[in-house]
Amino acid sequence: MVIAPLPAMASLALSILRSPPNLTLTIVAFVFFLLFFQALPNQQTVDYPSFKLVIVGDGGTGKTTFVKRHLTGEFEKKYEPTIGVEVHPLDFFTNCGKIRFYCWDTAGQEKFGGLRDGYYIHGQCAIIMFDVTSRLTYKNVPTWHRDLCRVCENIPIVLCGNKVDVKNRQVKAKQVTFHRKKNLQYYEVSAKSNYNFEKPFLYLARKLAGDGNLHFVETPALAPPDVTIDLAAQQQHEAELAAAAAQPLPDDDDDLIE
Amino acid sequence: MDDLEQAILLASDSPAAAAASPAVRAEALAYCARARDETPPSSLLHLCLYGLASSPHAHVHFWCLQTIHDALLLRRRLALPDDLALLRSSLLSLAVSSNAASPPFLRNKLAQLLALLVRFEYPHVYPSYFLDLIPPSPPLPGPTDMFARVLVSLDDDLLSQDYPRNAEEASDAGRVKDAMRAQCVPQIARHWHEAAVSLRAADPAVAAVALDAARRCISWIDVSLVANDVFVPLLFDIALSPGSVAPLAAAAVGCLSAVAAKRMDARAKVALLRSLMSAQKGFGSPDSGLKMAHLVTAYAVEALECYRKLGSSDADGAAALEMLEEVLPAVFAAAESGDDDEVDSGSVLEFLSGYVSTMKAPTEKQLGHLGQILEVVRMQMSYDPVYRGHLDVLDKIGKEEEDLMAEQRKDLIALFRSICRVAPGATQLFIRGLLVTALSSAEVSVEDVEVALTLFYRLGEIVGEEEIRTGAGLIRELVPMLLSARFSCHTHRLVALVYLDTISRYIKFMQENDQYVPHLLTVFLDERGIHHQNAHVSCHAGYLLMRAIRLLKAKLVPYLDTILQSLQDALVQFTATDWANKDIKFSSSEDGSQIFEAVGLLIGIEEVSPDKQVQCLTALLNPLCQQIESLVMDAKAQGLEESSPRAIGLQQIIVALTMISKGFNERLVMGSRPTLGVMFKKTLDVVLQVLISFPNVKPLRSKIISFLHRMVEILGISVLPCIPIALRQLLVDNEAKDMSEFLYLINQIICKFKSSANALLEDVFPAIASHLSVILSQDAFSNGFASNTEEMRELQELEKRFYAFLLHIATHDLSTVLLTPSCRHYLENIMQLLLITSCSHKEISHRKTCVQTFVNLIKDWCSSSEVEDKLPGFRVFMIEKFATGCCLQSVLDKSFNFRDGISIALFGEIMMAQKVMYERFGENFVVNFVTKLREAHCPPDLAEQYYQKLQGNDIKAFKSFYESLVMKIRQQQNGSLGSCIIYVYKALPFLRSEDVYCGNIFTEPGYRGEVP
Repeated sequence: MVIAPLPAMASLALSILRSPPNLTLTIVAFVFFLLFFQALPNQQTVDYPSFKLVIVGDGGTGKTTFVKRHLTGEFEKKYEPTIGVEVHPLDFFTNCGKIRFYCWDTAGQEKFGGLRDGYYIHGQCAIIMFDVTSRLTYKNVPTWHRDLCRVCENIPIVLCGNKVDVKNRQVKAKQVTFHRKKNLQYYEVSAKSNYNFEKPFLYLARKLAGDGNLHFVETPALAPPDVTIDLAAQQQHEAELAAAAAQPLPDDDDDLIE
Repeated sequence: MDDLEQAILLASDSPAAAAASPAVRAEALAYCARARDETPPSSLLHLCLYGLASSPHAHVHFWCLQTIHDALLLRRRLALPDDLALLRSSLLSLAVSSNAASPPFLRNKLAQLLALLVRFEYPHVYPSYFLDLIPPSPPLPGPTDMFARVLVSLDDDLLSQDYPRNAEEASDAGRVKDAMRAQCVPQIARHWHEAAVSLRAADPAVAAVALDAARRCISWIDVSLVANDVFVPLLFDIALSPGSVAPLAAAAVGCLSAVAAKRMDARAKVALLRSLMSAQKGFGSPDSGLKMAHLVTAYAVEALECYRKLGSSDADGAAALEMLEEVLPAVFAAAESGDDDEVDSGSVLEFLSGYVSTMKAPTEKQLGHLGQILEVVRMQMSYDPVYRGHLDVLDKIGKEEEDLMAEQRKDLIALFRSICRVAPGATQLFIRGLLVTALSSAEVSVEDVEVALTLFYRLGEIVGEEEIRTGAGLIRELVPMLLSARFSCHTHRLVALVYLDTISRYIKFMQENDQYVPHLLTVFLDERGIHHQNAHVSCHAGYLLMRAIRLLKAKLVPYLDTILQSLQDALVQFTATDWANKDIKFSSSEDGSQIFEAVGLLIGIEEVSPDKQVQCLTALLNPLCQQIESLVMDAKAQGLEESSPRAIGLQQIIVALTMISKGFNERLVMGSRPTLGVMFKKTLDVVLQVLISFPNVKPLRSKIISFLHRMVEILGISVLPCIPIALRQLLVDNEAKDMSEFLYLINQIICKFKSSANALLEDVFPAIASHLSVILSQDAFSNGFASNTEEMRELQELEKRFYAFLLHIATHDLSTVLLTPSCRHYLENIMQLLLITSCSHKEISHRKTCVQTFVNLIKDWCSSSEVEDKLPGFRVFMIEKFATGCCLQSVLDKSFNFRDGISIALFGEIMMAQKVMYERFGENFVVNFVTKLREAHCPPDLAEQYYQKLQGNDIKAFKSFYESLVMKIRQQQNGSLGSCIIYVYKALPFLRSEDVYCGNIFTEPGYRGEVP
C-alpha cells in the first residue's frame, strides 16, 4: 500500500488546472481527480475538482455554524459517526468551473476523541477559526496552526475571526497579527449573519488554482442570517444620519429649548 | 495487530475506508479507542512498536506514534523504566535510519515524540539524545532531515515563546537548553554548517529544513556559532546564489535575520550589524532587498532601534544611523516589490514610520530618502489595474476592492502625513512631479492619476487653511495646473471623483484668486463634473458645486447666466417623469437634487439684482409648477399609484422646489424682495393642491412635509392661513411614522410663530390628541421588551416627539390652548401622562422634558394667589402628586443614578421645579413636602435645613444639599421604594381603568422603577 501518490497525483492534476485555460488539459485534470483523488470515504465523488479542507479551532468558536451556512453543503452533508467528524461537501461556482470543498469539521472532538490530528492527513487547505469575543481562542491559534502544519506542510490556510456581529468583542482587528507572521490570510467573519462567508473559500480556491483572479460567479445559497450584523446596522445608521442631514429643517427644534 | 491495523484503516480517510459502511467504520473507530484506552500500558507500547515495525500503512504508523505520544503526555503511562528504555532505543534507531522519502507527516510525528522524550528525560535519564541523533559527517539527507525535525519539534512544543506555556514547560525548557549549551550546541552548529555546504546542491529541501532548525535556535545559543566569518558568508552565498531554490534561500535569509534580531546590548548589536554589513558586499543594494527582504527589514529595524537608544551624539549611535541609511535602498526595493509572500508590508511600514519620526530637520540625503518613501507610499496606495473595470462601474468586486484599499491606505496616509510635516517642500515637489507626469502623457493609467490626485487631496488636509488661501509654496502653481487638467482617463469614475474632491479641497484658494473662478466653474459644469457620463460623478459634482456656491457667493454673480445655462439640461433631467426608468440607486444624501439647491443659492445671493432674481426664479419655478399642475390633472383622471412614474415625477419636482428654497431666507423673501415671497407663496398653493388631491400617497406626502418646513422657514407668518388645511390632510391615514413627521412640522410651527399659532393649535389639537391616543394605545407597546423592531422604534420616536410637542406648547406661551373647551377633554389624561413619565419613564430625557413642561405650566397657570389659578385643582395636583412622586420618590429610587449625565440634568430640572413650586405655592408646598420627607424617614434637622436652602438664592448649594439628603435617606431606608411609588399611582384621583391612553406608558417598556 502506497499513500504518497494520491496527493502527488492530485497536485499534478492541480498544476494542470493552474496552467492557462486549455480545455483538453482541464478535462485531463478532472479525470486525474476522478481516478486518483479519492477525497473521502463514503462520499460520492464528483466530476469536478474537489479539495479536502480541514477546519480547526477551539470548541465554541463557531466552526460548525460556519460550514452549515452553506445550504447545499448542509443538504448533502453526511454525518460520519464512524470517523467522529462531519464532512460537508460545499460547492462553489467559479469562472473556471465548479469546485468542491470537502469540509472536515472536527467539532466536538477538540480534546482527545476521534483521530484528532489523524484527520488532517491529506488535508489540502485549512481554516483556523477563533472567536473575537474570547481572547483565549485567539491565544490558542498558534497551537492549532502548529499542529496543522506538522501534518499538512505548505498548505494554504485562512485564519478566521468569527462572531464579529457581537458587540462586546475582546479581540480587536488591530490585535490580530498572527497571520502576518505566518503568512496566512485573515478574514473577519460572522457565521450568524453570513458576513464574509465566501471570502475564506475564495482565497483558498485562488491559492489552490494558482489563479489570483479566480472569482465566484454565483453566490451560494446561504441560510438566512440569524442576526443583522453591526456593520449593516452601522451602514443603516450612517444612511439615516445622511438622510437626517439632508432634511430641510434648518434647526433641530429640540435645541431651541435645551 | 492485524485487527487493529484494519480498524485504523477503516476509521481514517484511507482508500480502504471508502468502501466500508458507516456502521463498520463506527465499529472500527470504537475498536481503536478501546485499544488505546484499555490496553495495559506495557502491552500498548509493544503493540504500537510492533505496528511501526510491521505495518506498511502510513495511517497505522501515524496512529501508533500518536497513541504513544498521548500515553506519555496525557496519561503519563508507560512509567516503567524498561518500557521507556525500549521506546527510546526503538525511536532513536527509527530516526537515525529514517528515509527522507517517507511522508513528512510521519517524520514530524516521530520527531514530535522524540522531542517529548527529550523533554522528560534529557539530560538526567538519558544524556545522549543529541549525540545519538546528530548525523555523522558527511551528513546524509535522511538523518539530517530527521534531526532537524526533532529540533523544530522541540522548538514548537517546548522552547519557542510563540505558544502559551505553563510553568512546568518553562522549567523543562530551561533545563533542556542549559544542558544542550553545555553539551552539544557547538557540535550541532558545525553540523548545520556541514549540512548546508554538502546538501545545498544535493538535497536543497533537506538543507533548508536544517537551516530552519538553526534559525529557531539562534535566539538562545551563542550567536557567534553562526555569526562568524565562516557561516555568515555561506548563508549570504546561499541566499543570493541564483542556483538556490526558494525555500533554501528563504531559510538562509531566516538565519541571517535571526542573527540580526538576536537580543543584546545596543553597542554589541552595532558591532554585530557592522559585521553583517561587511560580510556581504552590496548588502544595502536594491538587489539584496529583492532577494533578502526579511533580512534587510529586520536589519533596518534593529539599526533604527540602536540609533534611538544611543542617539546621534554617540559614535555607535551615529554608526547605526549610517548603517540604517546604507540599507535603505534595499528596504525600498523590498517594499516596492509588492511581493506579499516575501515582504510583510506592515512591518516595513512600521519601520518607515519609525524612521521618519526620528527626523527633525532632514539633511539633503534624508530628503532623498523621504522622496523614496513617498514613492513607496504611492505604489502601495495604487489600485491594481486588474480591478479597473470593476471600480468604474462599482460592482460587487469593485466595491470590495474599494473598501479593502480604504483600509490599506489608512496607515499609508498616516505615514504620508508625517513626511508632509517633516518635509513639506519635498512633499509638494513630489506631488508636482506626479501631476506633471500624469498631464504630460496621453498613456497615463487610471491608477497613476488616481493615486497622484489622492495624494494631492491628502496634502490639502495637512497644510493649513491659510496656506491654501494664499497659495503658499507650490500650491499657487499646483491648483491652477489642476484646474486646467483633463486626463485621458477622466471618464473613469475613480479619477473623476477624486479630481472633483481635490478641487473642492483647495477651493479656498479661489476665494483669494478671483481669476480662477471661471476655471473652477468650467470644471464643475463640463464633462469633468455635472456633465460627466457617470451619474454618480455628476451627482457628486452637483453637491460640490452647491458647496462652492455657498463659499464663493458674490464672486459668482457675474457668472449667473452661464451657470444657469449649463445646468439647464441637468435640471430638466432631474424632474423628467422617465426618471423612474433609470436604473441607478443613489445614497440619500447625493441624489442629484443638490443642483437645485445650488441654483437656489445662486439666485438668492443678495448681490443679484431684484429684477434678475425675479426673472431667474420665474424661469425656474413656473415650469415646475406647470408640470405639477398637469401631472395632478392627469392623475386625477387616471389615479396615482405610489410607485408610478407620475408619483415619482411629482416627488422629484417637490424635492427640487424644496432644494431651490434653501437658497432663500425670510428676511430676503418677505422683507427686502417681497416679489419673491409672492412667487413662493404661489408655489406653495400649487404644492398644496397635490396634498389636497392625493393626501395618502405617503412617499409623496413626506416630500411635501419637507417642502412645508421650508415654506414655514422662509415665508414666515404669512404661511399660517394655508397650514390648517395642510395639517388636516396630513392626518389622513396617519401611522406612527407619519405622526412623528407631522409633530415635527407642528413643533417647528410652534417654535417659529409662538403665540401667533394659538388659533391654529386650538383648531388642530383635539385631532392630534385623539389620534395619538389611538396610535399610542395600550396595545402599541404590548410587545414588552422586544423593542428592537422597526414598529417599536417608530413608536418610541413618536413618543419622544409628543413630549417635545407638549414642552413646546408650554414654553411658547401656548399653554392656554390646553384649557380651551375643545382641548379640555384631553387635559386630564395628559396631566396623568406627564406625571407618570416624569416620575418613572425608562428614558431619562423624557422625564426631563416632562418636568420642564410642568415647570412652565406652573409659571403659566398659577400665580401666588390660588384664586387666580387658571386650572382649578392643578395646584393641589402638583403639590400632592408631582412634588411627592417626582421630586422625592423618583430620586429616592436606587435606579436614579447621580453619576449619569442625563440624570444629573434631570435632577437640575427637578430642583428648579421645587423652587418654582415654592415661589408660586409658598407654604402649601413646603408643609406638604416636608411632611413627605419626614414620612420617608428624613431626620427633622435635615428637613428644617431643606426649608432654609429652599428659601435661599443659591440654587447650586440647594442642589448639592438635596443630593446629599437623598443619599442619606436612601441609606436609612435601604432600598425598597417601589411600594411608595405604587402608593402615589393608586392615590391618583382620576386614574380610571378606561384611561388606556396613558396606561401603556408606565406599565410597559417605558417604565423603569421597581413596581411589579
